[in-house]
Amino acid sequence: MPLLSDVRERIRAIVWRDRIERELEEELRFHLEHDAAARRRGGSGDPEREARLALGNIERIKEDVRDARGVRPLENLAADTRFALRTLRRNPGFTLTVVLVLGLAIGAATAVFVVADRVLLAPLPFRDPERLVRVDQHYGSGAWGTISAVDIQAVTAQARSLEAFGGVRFVEMSLTGAEAPERITVGHATAGFFRALDVPAARGRLIEPADEAPGAPAVVVLAHSQAERAFGTAERAIGGAVTLDGVSHTVVGVLPPDRSRLVGPQTAAWSALQLETPTRRGPFGYRAVGRLAPGVTLPQAQRELADLSARLFPVWRSSFPDSTARLVPVDLRTALVGHARGPVGLFAGAVALVLLAAVANVTTLLLARASARQHEFAVRVALGADRGRLARLIATECLVLAGLAAILATATAAVGLRAAPLVAPTLPRIAEARMSGGAVAVAVATSLICGLLAALAPLSVAVARGSDATAGLAGSGGRRTGAGPRATRARAVLVVAEFALAFPLLAGAGLLFTSFVRLERVDLGFDPNGVYALDVSLAGPRFEDDTVRLQFWRRLEARAAESAGIAAVGLAGSVPPDNFGDVNNFNLRDKPVPPGTAEPVAPWPAVTPGYFAALGIELLEGRPFTAGDSAGAPPVVIVSRAWAAKYYPGESAVGKQLISAGCTTCPLVSVVGVVGDVRYRGLAGEADAVYEPIAQAPVDRLYLVARSRLGPAATFGALRSALAAVDPNVAPVEVVLADRVRDALGDPRRWTSVIGAFACAGVLLAALGIFGLMSYVVRQRQRELGIRLALGASPGSLARLVMRSGLRYAALGIVIGVGLAVLQSRWLASLLFGVEAIDPLALGLVAAGMLAVAALACGIPGLAAARVHPVEALSMS
Amino acid sequence: MGDDYNDLLQGTLELLVLKALSLEPMHGWGIAQRIDQFSGDVFRVQQGSLYPALQRMLRRGWIRSEWRTTEHHRRARYYLLTAAGRRRLAAERSAWERVSAAINAVLAVRPASGES
Repeated sequence: MPLLSDVRERIRAIVWRDRIERELEEELRFHLEHDAAARRRGGSGDPEREARLALGNIERIKEDVRDARGVRPLENLAADTRFALRTLRRNPGFTLTVVLVLGLAIGAATAVFVVADRVLLAPLPFRDPERLVRVDQHYGSGAWGTISAVDIQAVTAQARSLEAFGGVRFVEMSLTGAEAPERITVGHATAGFFRALDVPAARGRLIEPADEAPGAPAVVVLAHSQAERAFGTAERAIGGAVTLDGVSHTVVGVLPPDRSRLVGPQTAAWSALQLETPTRRGPFGYRAVGRLAPGVTLPQAQRELADLSARLFPVWRSSFPDSTARLVPVDLRTALVGHARGPVGLFAGAVALVLLAAVANVTTLLLARASARQHEFAVRVALGADRGRLARLIATECLVLAGLAAILATATAAVGLRAAPLVAPTLPRIAEARMSGGAVAVAVATSLICGLLAALAPLSVAVARGSDATAGLAGSGGRRTGAGPRATRARAVLVVAEFALAFPLLAGAGLLFTSFVRLERVDLGFDPNGVYALDVSLAGPRFEDDTVRLQFWRRLEARAAESAGIAAVGLAGSVPPDNFGDVNNFNLRDKPVPPGTAEPVAPWPAVTPGYFAALGIELLEGRPFTAGDSAGAPPVVIVSRAWAAKYYPGESAVGKQLISAGCTTCPLVSVVGVVGDVRYRGLAGEADAVYEPIAQAPVDRLYLVARSRLGPAATFGALRSALAAVDPNVAPVEVVLADRVRDALGDPRRWTSVIGAFACAGVLLAALGIFGLMSYVVRQRQRELGIRLALGASPGSLARLVMRSGLRYAALGIVIGVGLAVLQSRWLASLLFGVEAIDPLALGLVAAGMLAVAALACGIPGLAAARVHPVEALSMS
Repeated sequence: MGDDYNDLLQGTLELLVLKALSLEPMHGWGIAQRIDQFSGDVFRVQQGSLYPALQRMLRRGWIRSEWRTTEHHRRARYYLLTAAGRRRLAAERSAWERVSAAINAVLAVRPASGES
């Protein structure tokens, strides 16, 4: 096995290097002695000399044998590496700075790019995921939303461009039977939904078309974890029964363990979506996924569904007059992760700027070092080192630095990825972004590339100057000319670049921070402290009757009001600040929208008067809801001030009438009152709202909202016992309104901090860069400064001279940075609230701030210039 | 210096070393001695090129080395032929025989009578 022996000998040559050298020495010595002895026996006069002559140059032989071992390049590399490590150990400050700057920046970049890859780019975990689409309803206004039962049935029956298509609706249901009732998320899905995604069952079967028929036996497919929790194992779950909203469902299948979510939220159970024959186009709230038929492109499918919409929608014009709406299939991955592009792009952009600034900074450090080592290089060249050897020395040093940085970067990336779900919990698939071999490879490769990039400038300087040995030696022996204008110019360019990169970072962070402060200062319209709510859902056959539900709500409210310590209690279909789903379309009787266009929508919670009391929402005009606003009475609503101002600016909204939900045959709804503003469309959203009395809208899900002086535990205890007294089988979800408000600020707060940290890093790098450059310039021009002093210049003027030249670099960088900031504004705009993406005042402030930092960083070398002693400086020559 | 010459010699040197070691394991000096012996004045082994050649042959797996004691109770590095080395020697020998037979045949050709 020649290969084996070859490798073995080479490894021996490396591992046992010293021993093998000793053995070679001994072998040759033996040869000489043996040869001499033989020659002595042969009668030679000078046997030792003859033996030496016969063998030849011993050192030459040794070199030839070493070459023959085949490990020369490796040995050189090892020697270079050892040398580099030794040099770097002698300069711990330099080494630490470079490794920290590169390692942290690359680690952060790796983490962000792994997140971006996972969240935005990784294919969805389905077969041929690029063939999957989601079908949405797009409106002429550019808005889009969910679809209705009508659409699911029509597309299922008619669309040829989709080989499989199914609808799904996620609802929360009470799971009873085991211990305390529990609220779980259930996906009501058609058979086509699973067929389109092509997800197999781990046990049993999935939902089948027969299950969809109204009145078919209730069946359920469980998520793996739910099956294990309820039945111990997945096998035992099959054939078992679970009670959802009071209805017993037979377990027919279990999904694989990695399928706890498909295309929506974490889902514990899946039941059949049973669609009745529709009487109107609505309600909406259904999601739908489809798989493109073989050979069909997305545009073809879009054309087919547009045609289908044009045929279908006019049939339902009475309940849906908007003729601009269309069913549109969109790429499923884009649909699921598209909204994450903004924040992920923001992070990626910021981290890329930081990384570039870090590389620029490290390059200046290496350049400075190369200049400082001019003398050493000159000596080496004088002693016979060729340029290649010198270049290899520098390159090895950079690679060793890059290697150390790679280790730190990997650790940083691991920490960053662990923190990612905490920083951006709302990004889809963020939990899947984990440290992997690929991530390590990215960190290492980026480190090496950055190391080599940073090595280029010092290499060119050292090699160009290194060849000129006499100049280098003379320069260091006589005047300290250093690296000459070339290296200084390179460093100045890099400092300008650092400022140019830091500016958009700081500007972006400033805008995000301002936006966050604006968001935090948004008037909520109520004090969330001490307000607690139970999310109560009544579903199932027991609550099918309107009067039963209404009775339940009335008793629940009355019961809760009796609890000690509860100051005010009421019921509401939505709670602030973000309850996006609960909206309704309407048309003003006196100002209807043009026929065929989309009607306006507004948040539309059903409430009891107690809700206004619990939140402290004041009645500004008109009357509150009364007992007279009953099911049979003329329908009434109370609107928010923002709604009134939007639709009836300058006049009273009280007494106006509107058509609700496009129902032209229903009685007109009258506005009877106007109340203070509370937001339901998020903190950044409008405060328009229309409230209806629960007697006229006996919905199946309401929040029991209470203001209480007790703590959360006692309040929820009281509310829960009130609920249990009315019905022990209903599982509520606890909501702390102050938490909801804080959560609504969570993303902006976390994103602002992250970008702020990046910006600080960028500014710090720029400051370090300009400080290093100007300190160097002062040292280099010491003699000139001394002459100026000797000729009568004041120390202050010298300090100003240094600062002026430093600030020129900073200013140039900032000017370029303004350009970059303008370019990035397009990205930022969608993430901001209440501030313009290009705000001249903000940009001016950021520029001033960065100039101040630059002045500070130049001030220290400036002072050093002022303290130059003319005699010392001149005597240096 | 003289790389072409060395290369030309290398194959031959290796063949001679293989042949020497096929007789018995020996140390470097012994190999040089033996080669001088059986080639007379035709091949003078440059002793300096012997050790690099041995190192190359170690890497190729034709020979291995071990430290032994000589008859004069000195420690010396002995080289032994491996199985691969033995195969190599056989291959070299048959190749050599083929080549030399061919060359002999070529040299034995006389000018045809009718031609000149």
